Amino acid sequence: MLQAKQIAKKFGNHYALLNCSLSIEAGEVHALVGENGAGKSTLIKIITGVYGHDEGEILWENQVVHIAEPKDAKRLGIHAVYQDRHLIPFFTGYENLYLGLEYPKNPLTQAIDWKSLRNQAEDLRQELEIPLDLRKTVSEMSPPEKTMLEVLRAMMLDCRLLILDEPTASLTDQESERLFQLIERLVKTGKSILYVSHRLEEIFQISDRITVLRNGQVVRTEKTPEVNQEQIIQMMTDNQWKSSLVENKEIDQSATLALELENLVTIDHSVKNASLTVREGEIVGVFGLAGSGRTQMLEAIYGLREIEAGVVKLYGETIQRFTPNLSLERGLVLISEDRRKHGLIMNMSIRENMTLPVLKRFSKGLQLLSVKEKKAVSTWMDRLQVKATHPEQAVEELSGGNQQKVVFAKALLTEPRLFLCDEPTQAVDVRTRSEIHQLLRKQTKQQKGVLYVSSDLQEILDIADRIYIFYQGSTIAEMENKDLTLEKVLQISFGQTQGGDRTNG
Amino acid sequence: MDNSLKLQKRTPSFLEILRSYGTLIAGLLIVLCFCILQPDTFATLDNAITVSRQISFLVMIALGATLIMAVGEFDLSIGAMASLGGIFAAQLAVAGYPIWAAYLITLVVAFIIGFINGWIVTRFRVLSFITTLGMGTILGGFTFWLSDGATIFEGIPASFRYIGQEKLFNLPFLSFIMLILTLIFWYLMSQTTFGRKLYAIGGNEAAARASGIRIRLNKNMAFALCALLASLTGILMASRLGSAQPTGGDGLFLPAYAAVFLGMTTFKEGIPNIWGTFLGATILGILENGLTIMEVPPFLQNVITGLIVIAAVVLQKIGQSESR
Repeated sequence: MLQAKQIAKKFGNHYALLNCSLSIEAGEVHALVGENGAGKSTLIKIITGVYGHDEGEILWENQVVHIAEPKDAKRLGIHAVYQDRHLIPFFTGYENLYLGLEYPKNPLTQAIDWKSLRNQAEDLRQELEIPLDLRKTVSEMSPPEKTMLEVLRAMMLDCRLLILDEPTASLTDQESERLFQLIERLVKTGKSILYVSHRLEEIFQISDRITVLRNGQVVRTEKTPEVNQEQIIQMMTDNQWKSSLVENKEIDQSATLALELENLVTIDHSVKNASLTVREGEIVGVFGLAGSGRTQMLEAIYGLREIEAGVVKLYGETIQRFTPNLSLERGLVLISEDRRKHGLIMNMSIRENMTLPVLKRFSKGLQLLSVKEKKAVSTWMDRLQVKATHPEQAVEELSGGNQQKVVFAKALLTEPRLFLCDEPTQAVDVRTRSEIHQLLRKQTKQQKGVLYVSSDLQEILDIADRIYIFYQGSTIAEMENKDLTLEKVLQISFGQTQGGDRTNG
Repeated sequence: MDNSLKLQKRTPSFLEILRSYGTLIAGLLIVLCFCILQPDTFATLDNAITVSRQISFLVMIALGATLIMAVGEFDLSIGAMASLGGIFAAQLAVAGYPIWAAYLITLVVAFIIGFINGWIVTRFRVLSFITTLGMGTILGGFTFWLSDGATIFEGIPASFRYIGQEKLFNLPFLSFIMLILTLIFWYLMSQTTFGRKLYAIGGNEAAARASGIRIRLNKNMAFALCALLASLTGILMASRLGSAQPTGGDGLFLPAYAAVFLGMTTFKEGIPNIWGTFLGATILGILENGLTIMEVPPFLQNVITGLIVIAAVVLQKIGQSESR
């Protein structure tokens, strides 16, 4: 039905996609997998007309089509549900469904005919068996409800190809299952699904074919029954960069405690009860899903979020006042989950970003010492192998991996004692990911502490000395990373969470 | 994207050069046009000096607007602040304060008012648009109260006019002040930690905060300096005229932002910058001067000026979407 041929896309000076070919048949679930930054989102955005492409062509039912803007894609029947949802929070479900559509109108007054609008929407909802109260505003809906609403919205128009970009990222297993059932029903009616996900289990559960992307290129398309997970991972990662950095060393109980949290509660109750310790020279992994409050915990320690109760001790000293400024002085540094939002100033240069927290060191009074600054920046660019044309390049022009290196150089320039890392390898390529792991491991040799949050359990197992499980705002389990496997950890954490309410995600 | 896809170095294309320096080139073209059309009146040294004095007020007030826009905020009260500055200083002078004290007290008051603007915005997270709209109205009220709504000219000592009317080497003091202030603020914005911090806040406030930058203090300072420059502009206008009008500075408000926006199309693209603002204000000033010499009626002057501002920004946007 849809064929993308030899698609290439350039951002600034580098190719985000090169020679990407993909074909999707009617009534199939086609999975698109790849590491963060492999080009999945870019490819989707080209198919849906958000981006143009520089080379190649797109065929729809064997005819060359030009998808110049999202409208064109919609006209063909291509709809996408993105990771970042495109819904208006204070509109009701009904109102969101009709965004950009022709409203049914009362012929006399030309006012919106709410009754027939509701009836139409309800009919479709029941036909697809989607359990959802459309009278609620989106801000009142849970993450899975929002996903359902977006799928429903796509179905309002004649949808032939539905693209789902990480639809289960914020869903629990049960909620995901509901989504899969919906997908099954859709496919039965002849619709095609392009399914993007990191979760290989689900991909093997629901897809007919799998296309693997790596570094902006298609590695291969395979029929799902003919491959297994390991083969796919191998194709995604090139394998050579996967290696565990855990040294099965005995944990030095006598090492100084760098950080102690006792029953930490934030004012917004996104963190309800967090207790943990980080010793000098240790990488402590925190495994928790997005939305579990793990990000908020780090932000609270760093001074970006208010604390209601609990104790935070740094090197034995109880901390009373929290601001990012003081945290930096105390030797804390935060590697934020969302580098575009909290990590970098995208329109500023590499140089300006790197030295931002340490301007004092590169100035005399108010006067900036630009020679000294430039020297330090180029040293760090070399040391971390930041690939850029020059230090004055705006960070928005860099690839995800290189942006993250700038984030790390910026962090290292502050000469921290304790790293707070929130998904530091998100949206970076495998090589950078491995470089980041090694860099942090090296830091621990100099008695630095690392608190490492990730929703990728395998990553945690690869890097952490000790592991905490974080669930619904609380640390619920602690374990040493010794002879642990994915299954073991999941078993333990499931055992702990069984009693809890799983549907609240 | 690292190993398999190589970075390609490119030299800037003609289009990119045109985009970065388009406004500068357009400015030079405008000057050239006037020189050809009015060689005897426009293209003279005397007129150049006149232009440098005419633009000085706009440049000064626009420098402050540049700071505010650099931190990603707006100050709608700068026009009212300029009006108040003139009236306040004039009333102090009339009341018998020494001239330097009249100027200084006015500037200090303006600085404090600006700081309050910033404080309301940062402390209570009120949009600066709303805060300064309200503050502008308040200041307008004060100005009216202080002046009874009338122009103040009686009782102003002659020394009040000195700074606005005297010349050095045949060049007005005002032109010197404008140049010195431009240099100072260029230095402040591009060579100091303060300027770097302001740009960082404007670029991404959350990231700047996480980098340990004190958002509130720096923003408050930007608001205070902006008000300071606005009131200085008002003082110098009153000094130049030898009288203070209760609405004297109001008309500078929109051209000031027009100058900043024009400036954002050039040098540092999309980012408020001091030399860009200077260029923007200069272009607006030259247009006014040239069109007046050509006896273009004022209403048409406004139309032409407005069109040029919009055209400059549109052209830059077109250039951007080309490269996307």
